[in-house]
Amino acid sequence: MILSRVADGLYWMGRYLERAENATRLLLVTEELSTEVLGLDEELARAAWQDLRAIFPGFPESEPPFRQLAALASASLLGLSIDQENRFSVFYSLKKARDNARSVREALTLEVFINLNETYRELEGMSRRHLADPATFRSAMQSTHRGLMSTVGAIEHTLPRDAGWLFLKLGESLERVFRTVVILRIKLPALVSAEPKVDLPLFYSQWRSLLRGLSCLENYRKVFGARLEPIDVLQFLLFDPLSPRSVRYGASAVKEHLDRISSASELSQPARIVGKLAAELSYQGHDLIRDGQILPFLDHVLTELGRAHDALSTVYFGT
Amino acid sequence: MKWVTPKNGFDEVFDARGRARPHYAALISILESFTKEDVERRERLQQLTLRNQGITFTVYGEKDGLERIFPFDFVPRIIPAAEWKGIQDGLIQRITTLNLFLSDVYQDQKCLKDGVIPAELILSRKEYKRALLGLVPPRKIYTHVVGTDIIRNDRGEYLVLEDNCRVPSGVSYVLENRNLLSRVFPEFLGSYPVRPIKDYPTLLLETLRFVAPRRGQNPVVVLLSPGIHNSAYFEHSFLAREMGVPLVEGRDLLVEGNHLFMRRTHGKRQVDVIYRRIDDDFLDPLAFRRDSMLGVPGLLNVYREGNVALANAPGAGVADDKSVYAYMPRLIKYYLGEEPLLPQVPTYLGHKKDDFKYIAEHLDRLVVKTTGDAGGYGMLMGPFASTKERETYLAAMRKNPGNYIAQPLVELSTHPTHIGGKFEPRRVDLRPFILYGDRIRVLPGGLTRVALRPGSYVVNSSQGGGSKDTWVLAPRDA
Repeated sequence: MILSRVADGLYWMGRYLERAENATRLLLVTEELSTEVLGLDEELARAAWQDLRAIFPGFPESEPPFRQLAALASASLLGLSIDQENRFSVFYSLKKARDNARSVREALTLEVFINLNETYRELEGMSRRHLADPATFRSAMQSTHRGLMSTVGAIEHTLPRDAGWLFLKLGESLERVFRTVVILRIKLPALVSAEPKVDLPLFYSQWRSLLRGLSCLENYRKVFGARLEPIDVLQFLLFDPLSPRSVRYGASAVKEHLDRISSASELSQPARIVGKLAAELSYQGHDLIRDGQILPFLDHVLTELGRAHDALSTVYFGT
Repeated sequence: MKWVTPKNGFDEVFDARGRARPHYAALISILESFTKEDVERRERLQQLTLRNQGITFTVYGEKDGLERIFPFDFVPRIIPAAEWKGIQDGLIQRITTLNLFLSDVYQDQKCLKDGVIPAELILSRKEYKRALLGLVPPRKIYTHVVGTDIIRNDRGEYLVLEDNCRVPSGVSYVLENRNLLSRVFPEFLGSYPVRPIKDYPTLLLETLRFVAPRRGQNPVVVLLSPGIHNSAYFEHSFLAREMGVPLVEGRDLLVEGNHLFMRRTHGKRQVDVIYRRIDDDFLDPLAFRRDSMLGVPGLLNVYREGNVALANAPGAGVADDKSVYAYMPRLIKYYLGEEPLLPQVPTYLGHKKDDFKYIAEHLDRLVVKTTGDAGGYGMLMGPFASTKERETYLAAMRKNPGNYIAQPLVELSTHPTHIGGKFEPRRVDLRPFILYGDRIRVLPGGLTRVALRPGSYVVNSSQGGGSKDTWVLAPRDA
């Protein structure tokens, strides 16, 4: 049992760390896809950047549309990496993770704090001019990504498995499954309908990029082999029981943490919501994809995750 | 290695002929065995460690509060065992007196009736809390943690400059400085019998547990912080971690049925002792400042009922008032029947007519301070101020003379400090920390603050000061 404020701080630290990691990875993947397809199909590259901006909706609405693809790409890169005002930039998420870590530092270990702090300081030192060069940008983002991974490693290897750890992991797992569903929700409509129009190598590039954006390409290959069939990719991203970024796995992880946080005798409201969701995901399958019900189902998952977040804030954080 | 010696003031390391004092000889020869490059490399490592570990303080007045590294100078200050013995005995005498004085002020007020100290001087202070009159804190302790600032005059005598009885800070840097020095310059500590300081958090926790109202069970101790934006937040978090107690903010606590609880994810838990790092005025909006968002409504009632201990006790601030300081030698004699062991700086009081006249006439030779402020804010350094600055300041003084005290400028001692590749003299002071629990314990050493700007007398971290590791040597026969 821990202070509600500390639980709240750890939960958000977990969420922001996960969000920073997601944004870093997707920036790298989008930049790569955009470079790969630019000469072949500029519209596709443009769509990739627009998707990224929809997944991380931190850009001002008043922003005028970009005529030049290069301007769109560079504004998106900088906006989502080091922009201090953009609520979904890597910098913003890292800063929030660190602020939360500072406010609950007594619940952490020195190893966790030092790794997070170093990663934050390094990114803070990056300038816009610096990042305008694509090679430097890539190496900077990779370095941030490594820093995030070592922070997660320090969490894994040094924190006691107490209530604080459960709230941190709850934040991480909820953010992860939420962001995965958002990514699918935004990417799928174009991907599914594009099939006949786009030429095949480009078509596969996009599916490959989707898998990489969710750290799933290698795991997918282990299950289905190198051949990228849309229906298999969907099946994998939604229902694979072992891949840590599939929707099913993600919901089960949230459920597991909530169950352990719940008192032994009775399930809490958030545990009920996520428990039902995890059960649905365990028993759903191919037919959902075949019947074209996938998008409404994803919307349903997002709604339930939102309800779970609200419920746990009320029950545990008193907010 | 280049050593620059000071023009005036007592030099901690070199005597008048420029020879290293005996207790510094070994250190100087180690330092001289380093090349300039060695030193620079080590210093970079030191900077990096401070930054990565987030050993910072927050500067107010800038947007969002800026986190800064507290500058650290690696040349340690060394205090021989015999000198320390004198300081320690003097400090124990002072904290004993301060506690007796507070007990008296909040109970019988004998010292006021006997005219040892003018009653209006005490009763008019905003730090004097009338609401606490007659209330006896657990174990009759008011000053659980005191930080007393000590300087050395041009003869090398140790003088008390002020006592901090409210929420003295800096002890985390004392501990971190030692860690840092032993990591970056391991050669230093190996050649001296330096008294260890690492058990401070353990002793602090013992001190706090000693005053728990519920006896015979494991008391719940918490550290109350104003939160992440406070300038000393690093220290709050550091001490909570080192003691293994929860760091709480006001919003984490609630009062029910005259008991204090903390809000947890699965129900509440009773709290017995608060090591509070927020000022009296913010403790309880129902008792003191109504607009305080940092405190706990009803906390003072719980305290009044004896169901929670607060360290330091509310109202203790009246004892470290700069005008009470002037009366400390008399108070020591009054309560203990002893002569003060540590001398202090002559002080002129604004509320005394003769003193005020003297202050007004000699402003160019005096340092004037407001009685309530701390951290080097609101003071006038007469000898360095322009005529216009002195006139403006004097005009403000005339409006509320009782709010000011003045002291002659003491030529602070200097200590070689590594600046830009050279060892230059910089002025230093010393803040030892004293704990009052089942007995009185003084942490060997304390925080040596150093004025990093050349010629500066102001050592406060908020005004460009840094710090040094401070070594107290073990007695030879021990």
